Amino acid sequence: MSALEREISPRVNAEMLPKWIGKTVRLTCKLLNFDSESERSFRVEASDGGQVVIQAINTGEPFRPDDIYLEVIGKVIDATTISMLGCIGMGNELDMKLVNDTVILIHDPRFFGKMFSY
Amino acid sequence: MAFQLSTGSCEKLQTAPQNDTSVYEAPHTLQFLSVKKVHGATASGTPNQPPPDRYRIILSDGVHFIQAMLATQLNHLILDGQLQRNTVAVIEKSTCNLVQGKRLIIVLDLKVLGSMEKLGEPIQFGASEESTSGGADRQGSLPGAGPTPAPVASSSTPAAKPAVPSRAPGATQRSRTSVYPIEGLSPYQNNWTIKARVTQKSEMKHWSNQRGEGKLFNVTFMDDSGEIRGTAFNMVADDLYPQLQEGKVYYVSKARVNLAKKKFSNLTNDYELGLEKGTEIEECHDTTNLPVMKYNFVPLSGLEQIAKDGMCDVIGVVKEVSSLSSITSKATQKEIPKRELTLVDKSGFSVRLTLWGKQAEGYDAEENVIIAFKGVRVGDFGGRSLSMVSTSSMQINPDIQECYDLRGWYDSQGAQTSFHAHSNMNAATSFGFRHEELRSLDDVKQAGYGMPDRPEYFSTRATIMHIKSDNLSYPACPGPNCQKKVTEQGDSWRCEKCDKSYPAPEHRYIMSMSVADHSGQAWVQGFNDVGTMVFGMTANELLEIKARNIERDEGQFNLVLHKAICSTYNLSCRAKQDTFNEQTRIRYGISRIYPINYREEANYLKDLLYSPWSR
Repeated sequence: MSALEREISPRVNAEMLPKWIGKTVRLTCKLLNFDSESERSFRVEASDGGQVVIQAINTGEPFRPDDIYLEVIGKVIDATTISMLGCIGMGNELDMKLVNDTVILIHDPRFFGKMFSY
Repeated sequence: MAFQLSTGSCEKLQTAPQNDTSVYEAPHTLQFLSVKKVHGATASGTPNQPPPDRYRIILSDGVHFIQAMLATQLNHLILDGQLQRNTVAVIEKSTCNLVQGKRLIIVLDLKVLGSMEKLGEPIQFGASEESTSGGADRQGSLPGAGPTPAPVASSSTPAAKPAVPSRAPGATQRSRTSVYPIEGLSPYQNNWTIKARVTQKSEMKHWSNQRGEGKLFNVTFMDDSGEIRGTAFNMVADDLYPQLQEGKVYYVSKARVNLAKKKFSNLTNDYELGLEKGTEIEECHDTTNLPVMKYNFVPLSGLEQIAKDGMCDVIGVVKEVSSLSSITSKATQKEIPKRELTLVDKSGFSVRLTLWGKQAEGYDAEENVIIAFKGVRVGDFGGRSLSMVSTSSMQINPDIQECYDLRGWYDSQGAQTSFHAHSNMNAATSFGFRHEELRSLDDVKQAGYGMPDRPEYFSTRATIMHIKSDNLSYPACPGPNCQKKVTEQGDSWRCEKCDKSYPAPEHRYIMSMSVADHSGQAWVQGFNDVGTMVFGMTANELLEIKARNIERDEGQFNLVLHKAICSTYNLSCRAKQDTFNEQTRIRYGISRIYPINYREEANYLKDLLYSPWSR
């Protein structure tokens, strides 16, 4: 179990990042802009409104997601930076308030681990 | 030992002014004709202590006798046995209290002399002046002691024979015991009379069951203290039905006090009256202090708060009256006339109220009358609706303050305002999809929805597992609003209902599907709207695909079917019991089908997690 536990990637919002530094998390977010110089990092807005910098994988190809809403799976570098491991498109419409409420519920001690798998 | 009683004492005590110490502090030698304990209902004791016993005494001076009370500090004399019937004592100090206009002597201090047989032939003092409404006065002389002393009084004056019978006025021969409050009625006391108004009289109801048949009617009696139901059967019912009229006041006595059958009444009284052969009912013409109808009106906007099937009182302006219609009762197969009124009031809401039976037929008030309703049942048809039951009563243009307020409001602005009717948002009608009442399929089966006495409508969320493809649709009449099956007659299709023929029918879906959720599986039936949503095309189109495919292969058709299954929908269903050839089955029909809006559902789940339920 412990090996599996280390592989968890719970959904978080910007506020929770400091608690998960060094760990892998999922951030459901909205694409804001690209950091055009390096073409490797871009800014997103998390479900609670906080802004986070995502460092994309260096494949030589510029990272151009199709959707506005993304779920970025990555490792937390610091409170405002995530190093991306993978990305899932969530379409162009997403109720971020609902997402945020859900994220908060996920981490609620009553439910974390019992109801919401991570 | 003979004692000399101080004659004239009684007269003095009863007539002297209250502050005349010469009378009340002078000694009077009187004989005790009677000593009776009464339970003091007034809080003459200190709070939290039960009220002390009080003794009611009859004092005689050989010529007259009067009623008096013994001060509690002298109670011990009675308990010791020093003071009892026929004791002669010197009343050293007394006082006079005025209670309800009548005098009551309180004996504060006395000295016992001795006992001997009754002296003289005393008569009740003031018998000649006794007012004709003797009952009320009698009661008045005992403050707060309630009705119990009244029969005591009439039975504790055996010596005063001449006084008692002449009290009752009018033609009645019987002596009327004092008037009880309705709240004081109980099976333990059968010598009572109530003075009450008939606030509601039901129609004569006939019944026949295995044990026999008969008829009955009910009335509701009301006075200042409360209400009680009375029921008369068969012959007694025949006699009393014309005699008792709504709105009139009667003296009732000698009815049987029974435990109330709460099932048949919505009144709060624990008891009810059985009106029998020996019951005496006399109309009361004394129009003073008569109880009027007590209402507890709910503003129409507040009807939402009252649970379904609750009772309430309302008052409103009748904005609309529907014509008389009739429906056939499912339960009794009888046709019942009904009429709907639309009531509005100051709160800006409107509500429909249904009148039944004779009330519906006999309704002929003019437009815009104000009617007060008592005891109407709240339903949830179209949000909120009201219905008369047999115990309801209505008063047209009642003489009460609320009526005047409503009249004033309506005349000035009410007629122009548009009113909200209660919407279906909270208490949805049978067709709406109710989130709060979402049931799992297993739940529905276990609870036996659809059996008699069980709810019929339910909401559920399920996924389609399989659709029976053999009978998917039927040819239907394309005429407006007609969905009847049409029969093929040569080249055209004929509809019996519209009596027309059409070149081509409009096919409508009729499908049998197997749906399932986490708990179980069930077979449901759906009609055209269900099919359209599930397949995403009309029945005509689907049939075309099917027909086309028979020539080639069934690929396309199967694909359509295949796509339809495994999709989840919110269903609003109706369960009904069907019997055919001895087999009884419960069938589930889909009334409404809704696609899942994940956002809405997720929000709902989130709300649930935030709610107290999740704590």
